[in-house]
Amino acid sequence: MKDPRDIIKRPIITEASSDLMENLKYTFEVDVNATKIDIKHAVQEIFKVKVKKVNTLNMPKKPKRYGRHSGYTSEWKKAYVTLTDDSKPLDFFETV
Amino acid sequence: MNTNWEKTEKNTGILKVEVEAEKVTVALDKAFKKVVNKINVPGFRKGKVPRAIFDARFGVESLYQDAIDIILPDAYSQAIDESGIEPIDRPEIDIEQFEKGKTFIFTAKVEVKPEVELGAYKGLEVEEKDFSVSEEQVELELKSAQQRSAELISVEEGTAENGDTAVIDFTGYLEGEKFEGGEAENHQLELGSGQFIPGFEDQVVGMSAGEEKDIEVTFPEEYQAEELKGKDVVFKVKLHEIKRKNLPELDDEFAKDVSEFETLAEYKEDLKKNLEEAKEKEQQQYRESVVIEKAAANATVEIPEPMVKHEVDHMLQDFAYRLRMQGMEMEQYFQFSGQTEEQLREQMSEDGKKRVLNNLVLEAITIEEKIEVSDEALEEEFNKLAEQYQRSVEEMKEIYKSNGNDEALRKDLTIRKAIDLLVETSQWVPAAEEADTEEATESEEKSEA
Repeated sequence: MKDPRDIIKRPIITEASSDLMENLKYTFEVDVNATKIDIKHAVQEIFKVKVKKVNTLNMPKKPKRYGRHSGYTSEWKKAYVTLTDDSKPLDFFETV
Repeated sequence: MNTNWEKTEKNTGILKVEVEAEKVTVALDKAFKKVVNKINVPGFRKGKVPRAIFDARFGVESLYQDAIDIILPDAYSQAIDESGIEPIDRPEIDIEQFEKGKTFIFTAKVEVKPEVELGAYKGLEVEEKDFSVSEEQVELELKSAQQRSAELISVEEGTAENGDTAVIDFTGYLEGEKFEGGEAENHQLELGSGQFIPGFEDQVVGMSAGEEKDIEVTFPEEYQAEELKGKDVVFKVKLHEIKRKNLPELDDEFAKDVSEFETLAEYKEDLKKNLEEAKEKEQQQYRESVVIEKAAANATVEIPEPMVKHEVDHMLQDFAYRLRMQGMEMEQYFQFSGQTEEQLREQMSEDGKKRVLNNLVLEAITIEEKIEVSDEALEEEFNKLAEQYQRSVEEMKEIYKSNGNDEALRKDLTIRKAIDLLVETSQWVPAAEEADTEEATESEEKSEA
């Protein structure tokens, strides 16, 4: 298995995601090829918490132009990780 | 809240204030609400950043300055109330401790109103001036009324005399040439009025109507026209007409003409009464200013500079206001008089000092004598003012309140009372000679409504 820190790329902190945090739901950008199982293990490993479930979705690539050069933004995978009800909130998010 | 007032010097002291930690938290929250609308955090719309994220990103410390700005004015004024001091200038504030969850401690170095050591102020011996109305003064008044109602009557015969008005044509020649401004026709010249250059009017005296004459005069050295200074000139003058003042007879007829009285005696009586009233007012003012000055001279006070500055500010404002009533702006005045603002301030500071001193002394007297103004008296004053300005009492109060002056009026009244007390208790010694007229200091400033 890959290193957990290669699977979890960064936390997503936005208005929407910070609202979700109240329900112990944390949002990450993860490796495109990671499975829910991978993500679950990675989060448990890094934050030492218990994960209840993982929802994922693929964020599509988007066409972008810069002058006459055109290209795409990268595709990426977003994961909502819900912790078990008795978990403590991750203070990592608050301090970033 | 905890306050501790400690005097360090005569008029200055240090006020140490401790504010509870809860208030600090409240202030921080308020500060956050203010700041949050101005910051940008990616992922959040403006003003929607949660407190936790803000704290993590910027640190609570970034809120301290704003929080202090919020908490300090209230805390300061509350501390002033609690300690009962009367500051006269902005305080020098020193923050000793400000931290989340801890008490907020600051010290303020303030200058306070100086303590007045009153000298003698009751039973002062003061020289009285003579304010009685003499027969001559009435006579003088009557004469001027007579002059005012005099008619000019043309005199056919005889020669011009001093006091007459001569109607003349004149042309001036300087070394045989006409000069500018030296020519006029049908000019009315009152002889002996000093309107023309010296020597001219004297030479018109003695001329008769229709006569022509060359008048030789020398312009004075300090004449305004450069080319005429000290020059000998010749004026060709033609006298058209002599008008003489016809003074009306001082009799009942005259009294009827100039006043609503039937007889001269009545008119005289009225003149006397008016004079007496004016004198009485003058006397009252004189007495007030003299006793205040005496009481102030007997008291020992150290007048702090800021108070004088405030007073001068006030005087300047007042001055500017009066100028504006005449349609002049401050800048124009400075240009016109060639004075700078500093110079004007310098000039006013002497007067300002005096006023401050007088006010301080009077205030001290009100405290010493426990002079107080009841609400009823205040009400009465409002009624009076309302009548004076033709407004309703409520309106008057509203005006005063909006200016923050409703307490100032009460203060005015107490000070008035103090002045009355001074005047009443003083002993008036008749002046041996004509006393020097002392500059009347305005004892009390009426607050502008």
